[in-house]
Amino acid sequence: MNRFLDLIAHNRNILMLLLLSLIFLTFTVLVPHFFSMYNVLNMTQYGVEIGLLAFAEALIIISGGGGIDLSVGALLSLTAMIIGVLVGRYGFNIWLAVIVGLGASGLGGALNGFMISFIRIPPLLATLATMYIFDSLALLVSVEPQFGNPMPISKFPDSYFFIGQSTIFGIPFQVLFIFLPIFFILNYYLKSTIYGRFLYAVGINDKAALFSNVPVKKTRFSVYIIGGILVGIAAVIMTSRIASARPDLGLGYNLQAITIAVLGGINIFGGEGDLIGVLISIGIIVVLYNGLQLAGVNAIWQMGTLGIVLIGSAIINYLLSKRKLYVISLKNSK
Amino acid sequence: MKKNSFFRFFRTREFTVTIILLLLVILFGMTTKNFLNPSNIRNLLLQVSTIGIASIGMTTIIITAGIDVSAGSILGIVAVVAGKTALSGYPIWLIFLLALLVGALLGSLNGFIIGFIGIPPILVTLGTMSFLRAMVYQLLGGKWIGSYPPFPDSFRKVGTGVFYGIPIPVWIMLGLVLIFMYYLRYRPTGRYIYATGNNIEAARVSGISVKKILFFVYILAGMLYGVAGYIMASRTGIVQTNTGAGFELSVIAATVLGGTNILGGEGTVVGSILGALLVAVIKNGMILMNLPALLEGLIVGAIIIGSVIADILKTREGKR
Amino acid sequence: MEPFLKVSRIVKNFGGVKALKGVDFELIKGEVHALVGENGAGKSTLIKIISGVIQPDDGEIFIEGEKVRILNPKDAHEKGIATVYQEPLVYKKLSVVENIFLGNEIKTSNGSINWKAQVNKCKELFKLLDIDPYLIHTPMGELSVGLQQLVLIAKALNYSAKVLIFDEPTAILTEIEAEKLFKIIKKLSSQGVAILYISHRLEEIFRIANRVTVFRDGKREGTFDIEEVNRDKIIELMAGKALIETIERQKNLSKSPILEVHNLTSPYFKDISFSLYAGEILGFSGLIGSGRSELMQTIFGLIKKDSGKVILNGEEIEINSPEVAMKYGIAYLPEDRANEGLFLRETIKFNISIPILKNLTNFFFKIDNKKENELAQKAMDAIKIKAPSILTVLNNLSGGNQQKVLLEKWLLTYPKILILDEPTRGVDVGVKVEIHKEIVKLAEKGMAIIVVSSELPEVIKLSDRVIVMHEGSISGKFNRKEEITPKNLISAATGIRKAS
Repeated sequence: MNRFLDLIAHNRNILMLLLLSLIFLTFTVLVPHFFSMYNVLNMTQYGVEIGLLAFAEALIIISGGGGIDLSVGALLSLTAMIIGVLVGRYGFNIWLAVIVGLGASGLGGALNGFMISFIRIPPLLATLATMYIFDSLALLVSVEPQFGNPMPISKFPDSYFFIGQSTIFGIPFQVLFIFLPIFFILNYYLKSTIYGRFLYAVGINDKAALFSNVPVKKTRFSVYIIGGILVGIAAVIMTSRIASARPDLGLGYNLQAITIAVLGGINIFGGEGDLIGVLISIGIIVVLYNGLQLAGVNAIWQMGTLGIVLIGSAIINYLLSKRKLYVISLKNSK
Repeated sequence: MKKNSFFRFFRTREFTVTIILLLLVILFGMTTKNFLNPSNIRNLLLQVSTIGIASIGMTTIIITAGIDVSAGSILGIVAVVAGKTALSGYPIWLIFLLALLVGALLGSLNGFIIGFIGIPPILVTLGTMSFLRAMVYQLLGGKWIGSYPPFPDSFRKVGTGVFYGIPIPVWIMLGLVLIFMYYLRYRPTGRYIYATGNNIEAARVSGISVKKILFFVYILAGMLYGVAGYIMASRTGIVQTNTGAGFELSVIAATVLGGTNILGGEGTVVGSILGALLVAVIKNGMILMNLPALLEGLIVGAIIIGSVIADILKTREGKR
Repeated sequence: MEPFLKVSRIVKNFGGVKALKGVDFELIKGEVHALVGENGAGKSTLIKIISGVIQPDDGEIFIEGEKVRILNPKDAHEKGIATVYQEPLVYKKLSVVENIFLGNEIKTSNGSINWKAQVNKCKELFKLLDIDPYLIHTPMGELSVGLQQLVLIAKALNYSAKVLIFDEPTAILTEIEAEKLFKIIKKLSSQGVAILYISHRLEEIFRIANRVTVFRDGKREGTFDIEEVNRDKIIELMAGKALIETIERQKNLSKSPILEVHNLTSPYFKDISFSLYAGEILGFSGLIGSGRSELMQTIFGLIKKDSGKVILNGEEIEINSPEVAMKYGIAYLPEDRANEGLFLRETIKFNISIPILKNLTNFFFKIDNKKENELAQKAMDAIKIKAPSILTVLNNLSGGNQQKVLLEKWLLTYPKILILDEPTRGVDVGVKVEIHKEIVKLAEKGMAIIVVSSELPEVIKLSDRVIVMHEGSISGKFNRKEEITPKNLISAATGIRKAS
């Protein structure tokens, strides 16, 4: 058992790539139409949206102090609805609507960050509450004034669709021009900038960070805002892709985002993990989801599988860190 | 400064919630036609009973500084089991026992991973929430039960019946409240739950098996969700794939409102029931005042935040 | 008379540190036995072993002549040993009566808690201890620390303790509460309870103790009847006759002080005034709880002051955050390096560069990797940190090397004032010497250094001047090297004021 754990600990990313390939191959063999141009395209497009949410979740969890965000899916729905309604019902210019949407999602993140960092509400409870608040707001926004009912809206201009629906040399636009750049920027932010360092420091030991002149509150506050903006970008891409906005767009996304982060090696207690693992993990989860769907598995079981993956990854992470501590204590007592 | 235990009562959350309740009842009573209508009150109490019973379990969990978002899924599974066995003609006492057993079993899944392995409750219960919801779907085969064929009358009686003018589920809730008030106050393990939430190290040093307490608390809650599931199936007469979905929000809201501190260590069953009442009254009043049901999430979410802030302010004040 | 409790040849090591080096000790029924010694002398370790918190590496324990093993705190309770610690381990939101009986409940025949009986027993205990009974249902967290301690004594009594251990009990009590405590102790000992009383307050010991044992450096120096000794003798034993090292060095002090503190007051200390000159090493001595760390943290901006002035180079300044302190050239190494000073899960490079990252960034907030590596490598070499590379994770380093990282980290901020809080705690002898040499070198280069330390030899070796603190106030200032002796320092630390 211990040898197995050590193997995982030293080669986590490689093993995950292997796992990804394995799952991919399995589905290719077992599920018809899985390995088709259309489907791979589909997967990558979906992967971008959930991937951005997973990045948001990862950053927030790294910041420690119980950091987590249950409201990402709801914020996605809300932002999508705001954009959709501004364009579809009030005739805004689409790009203006996008800016307002991004502003709204940033504000949503700021609300979380403010409650958590400055009022000291535990992140779990704060984002649980905002999850329901954002969901409710999304429903409210979606209500057609004449009918009084929440309705999806689908009045987007054609000029909008290139974001989510066009491809360049077969690669989706959003992958090439939004997702990958963001991945590199976030990775750069985490690994090479002073703010990334601050994030890890705060996540590992916020007391030592305070004593070392690291702005703890500001760092945690800003990471929720960044998360909010990422969610907003995902909302833009999604509405552009499916050409409509629904108030339940983000249903179940918080579970997916958290599972991807945990599977990707982000330590739930903070201070540990990187985006490369998360990237591979996005691949695994998206392939899994898509494959199950094509195989005819009901959406509910897709979520159910995700639940198992979440618990499984959490247990593996836990065993890994226990093993690590044990190895260190062995070394030190020599 | 003398702090008489008599005056202490007025500073409790329970008291505040009761006052707010009374004010709201007066408000809704005066501004709407039907609030004080006996059938509305009965309806209200029925809604309170399922949330209230579940919140008893959630209270014990949150006292240990844990959380359980899988309450709705556990409720769903028990509802399916109850409904199906009812359709197969099992006697109601057996079905009830089964409900308790299944609830306990499912709760033990959470409890084992949280108490003995040590994974944070949010991750575990998020996982079991979705996994068990999938099981609900699986057990129902994608259909729903209870309309054709309908559940037997004997089964429906529990949820819809009335005893001396008060709905049976309310009696069940009251009974459970009394049992748990006793348990949490007079049984050593009941007190150990508070000890674990107050100071886990001190509890360990005193020889309390913290792992067993945590394991146990989730089982207890599972049983209570089971009772709520049984009642819900019996009351509504239908069990679908999404039965109980989102249930945990109301339960957590009720518990937090009722004075159970999210950081652990304090909370009362009575407070959570009052919290459940408050949530139900607000929801009901909103409907009667023709406020859109869509506002529900907004208001309940805002209430949760408000009461947590109140808790934080109280703690800060105490520290000085 | 057969001792109630006897320990024989007890040895306990922590990593490389020998906390107890073969200790014999006896406790007789009904006596009040005081235990004195410097910090780190081994008193707390012995207590922890007797209370079952830790296990000895070697040696035996006898209770009433029978050899026993005390496996854990609960086991100790069952054997009649109860301890009242300095930091009360309480359930803050639970009531007083609950705190007393949790884990040791009075039950009815059906197994439920008999609250009435508990309340009554509680009233009895409170009468014995002269505690106001209306407190019975008050949440523990609302009581003053002193009261909490009295409640914990009640809890210990509830275990029918035959041995009652107090670890620095009066450190957190008011005078009135302390008087109460002494009365209770006298009463209990007359009833046959053996009392083990750790304290550094020698006046108290002479008031209530029957016998006193002095510990030094992990060994029992001697046990005496209280009539046989006086303060001086005890202090001599505490300090020991070992040669105190000194370091020869050049002293080049600035003419005017670089730092002046006037009447600084906070919840942790009162009316502190002193000056610090560039090029000197100012030692702060005193026992745990004297307020030294809090004083330094206030100067560094981590704790808010209530009143008083801080003057830097002649100008009054307000320091309300570490950022401001750093700007003024002040650096602070906390005493708890694991929890407050270092990121143990991270590399040497990470830890060393964290306070000065802003200086290492160029465009787009990017950290100049090359510069950072160079800096970290230079730091590692400068103080000879023994590690494979700058990418070694701190968890893999010895305590001494971790301390070196902490020191280098702050030296990179080019401080003018360096405050070191317990700079060689948990560090082995070789590295200790290296760090001391480094500190002296820094002073010779013109840095103003404050060393807060509970290790007398260290303070005496390094300091040009020493200020001793006792319970939040300055109890002694020793400005000449000849005055800095163990005897003087311990006297001042234990509260015997010296005219300065």
